[in-house]
Amino acid sequence: MLVIQNLQARVEEKEILRGISLTVNAGEVHAIMGPNGSGKSTLASILAGKQDYEVTGGSVEFAGEDLLELDPEERAAAGLFLAFQYPIEIPGVTNTYFLRAALNNVRKARGEAELTMTEFMKHIRSKVEMMELDPSLLSRSVNEGFSGGEKKRNEIFQMAVLEPKLCVLDETDSGLDIDALKIVANGVNHLRGEGRGIIVVTHYQRLLDYIVPDFVHVLMEGRIVKSGGKELAHELEAKGYSFIEEELAAAR
Amino acid sequence: MTTDLKAKADAFTEIFDSAHAVLNTLADGRFADVRERGIHKFREYGVPTHRDEEFKYLNLRHLSESAFKIAYGATVSRGDLSHPIVSTDAITLAFVNGQYAPELSSADTLPDGVYVGPFDELPFEVDQAFEKQFGRVANLVGKLGTTNDERFTYLNQAFFADIAVVFVPENVIVERPIHILNVSTANLGAFVAAPRAFSYFSANSQAKLIESFIGLTGNYLNVPVTEVVLESGAIVEHVRVQDETLAATHIGTQAVHQDASSSYTAFNVNFGGQVYRNDLNVWLNGSGTETRLDGVNVGTADQVMDNHTRIDHAFPHCNSFEVYKSVLRDNAQGIFNGKIFVYEDAQKTDAKQTNQALLLSATAQMNSKPQLEIFADDVKCTHGATIGQLQKDALFYLQARGIPKAQAESLLVYAFANDVLARISNEAVRQALETRLFDKLEVA
Repeated sequence: MLVIQNLQARVEEKEILRGISLTVNAGEVHAIMGPNGSGKSTLASILAGKQDYEVTGGSVEFAGEDLLELDPEERAAAGLFLAFQYPIEIPGVTNTYFLRAALNNVRKARGEAELTMTEFMKHIRSKVEMMELDPSLLSRSVNEGFSGGEKKRNEIFQMAVLEPKLCVLDETDSGLDIDALKIVANGVNHLRGEGRGIIVVTHYQRLLDYIVPDFVHVLMEGRIVKSGGKELAHELEAKGYSFIEEELAAAR
Repeated sequence: MTTDLKAKADAFTEIFDSAHAVLNTLADGRFADVRERGIHKFREYGVPTHRDEEFKYLNLRHLSESAFKIAYGATVSRGDLSHPIVSTDAITLAFVNGQYAPELSSADTLPDGVYVGPFDELPFEVDQAFEKQFGRVANLVGKLGTTNDERFTYLNQAFFADIAVVFVPENVIVERPIHILNVSTANLGAFVAAPRAFSYFSANSQAKLIESFIGLTGNYLNVPVTEVVLESGAIVEHVRVQDETLAATHIGTQAVHQDASSSYTAFNVNFGGQVYRNDLNVWLNGSGTETRLDGVNVGTADQVMDNHTRIDHAFPHCNSFEVYKSVLRDNAQGIFNGKIFVYEDAQKTDAKQTNQALLLSATAQMNSKPQLEIFADDVKCTHGATIGQLQKDALFYLQARGIPKAQAESLLVYAFANDVLARISNEAVRQALETRLFDKLEVA
């Protein structure tokens, strides 16, 4: 589904990704872990099409297409979804209007009929309940005045509504209390399987107790330095990132 | 320079000389002297240049080069009026090129004592209010600051034909909006028109006033003056819609007197005009008043949109809140000057002014000038002006959810401007303006 090969990128003169290769198949959950500044969020942003980065080498293929050639909206239409680390507030645009516009654009791109307001409300009802969203948030401006937890739940709610092929969660656990974390994890687990790929970018192992990954990759200084199963996350939790640094030093 | 100014003034004097005989047949010649004084005062100043402080950024050179005639006898049929604001339910008083148009007005049964009609045989109570205040509200003589420039108020005084009169007696609540509809059509050649309105809201009355300026065809100069008086405790929402033709020049004066504990909310919504200017002056004539002045300007092509607002806080414990927003595309130019005068006695004044502009092209421009002059020491006065482009992060967020870039941009622009319209209390009026906003942004 997603094939990243030797991806390199920089911001201005600073190299951030130094050759990342990663393959995600349908049905798999991959966790990408790493210390601050390792390039995790950069990778997530580049996949979604954020302009601030310059890709200097490598390739990304998504569902048979050259992802890097697509505009952000085309990536969304092709089935890629980024849950933002810092969801953006958009005053004056209601959550409902925004999400229906998003869904109808994605549906149009898939060759499906657009939903009327009534059909749309029906489509989202169960998802509002699953994410335990206060229904009043739907008629408020997108993310405006939402608490940190509400913003993150709103991201996963959008994901559930748009039903993407590949979900990229960028530090969705940051700033969440344990109850909100469980709700978010529950939302993600509902989308698991069904031929869908999920990439969970996180600094901490905590979220992975609830969204159990099939693969764990450790990102350091712009490279994947170690990959393994879910037990790797536990090892990192117990020993910290320094044990990998030591392993790497020993191997050099 | 002196001869230059004199020559410019004389262009309008010529129009006056050819027209005042006709104008003086109206209202039994009651305003003949008023008109003479108006043209005399205008002649002292002439057409402003950029050397005149209050017209620094507004180029009006074309006014002295155009061959305007006085507007007289034009008619418009209902079928010509497709503007969404025209079809909102209201007690409607219509004028075409400044002249009363009964065929476009509504014949409504009004609550006891309420008057909505042209200046004619005014009922006794209305005539008293009119005599007391007409022409006095528009004038700022004797107030702080010497920077207001009233030459176009005088030009209106010289040229006005009929007068829209609205009167609401004490304690009366008028539920339906009262709409003063001003239609302009220059199909018989360029003209100058001077719509004039006088609205008087007696103590503890409540009403919603719509004042619209709808242009149908051609090049013309509109110099409307509207006077609004709120007695103590009156609550008024005033929506002023300016949608002149893109060839027209509109230079308006909107003067408001608020007695103690009254509440005045104004929405100035501007879509039209090649050159638009409005001076909104609010005189706070007692304590405990609430004033809210909101504005939305949507300028495209070579439009120029200039809003001057002035609030005189002369008494203690008065609040004023002001938000003016502009969306400017292509070569459009926006100007904002917001004056707030806080007099020595006006302790506990709470005044907040915000001016925001969204520039959608590299050639659009905005000049913003907050002007606060405070002579009292225990007050809260703030102002903020921002001029910017669409927020990149917001644009990316919408795109990342599948909304194409062009649609995402329109959505953000619409949201920026609609934030102000969303506060209009009458739903039909709000929807009509939202529809127009949407059209203007799509077409542009």
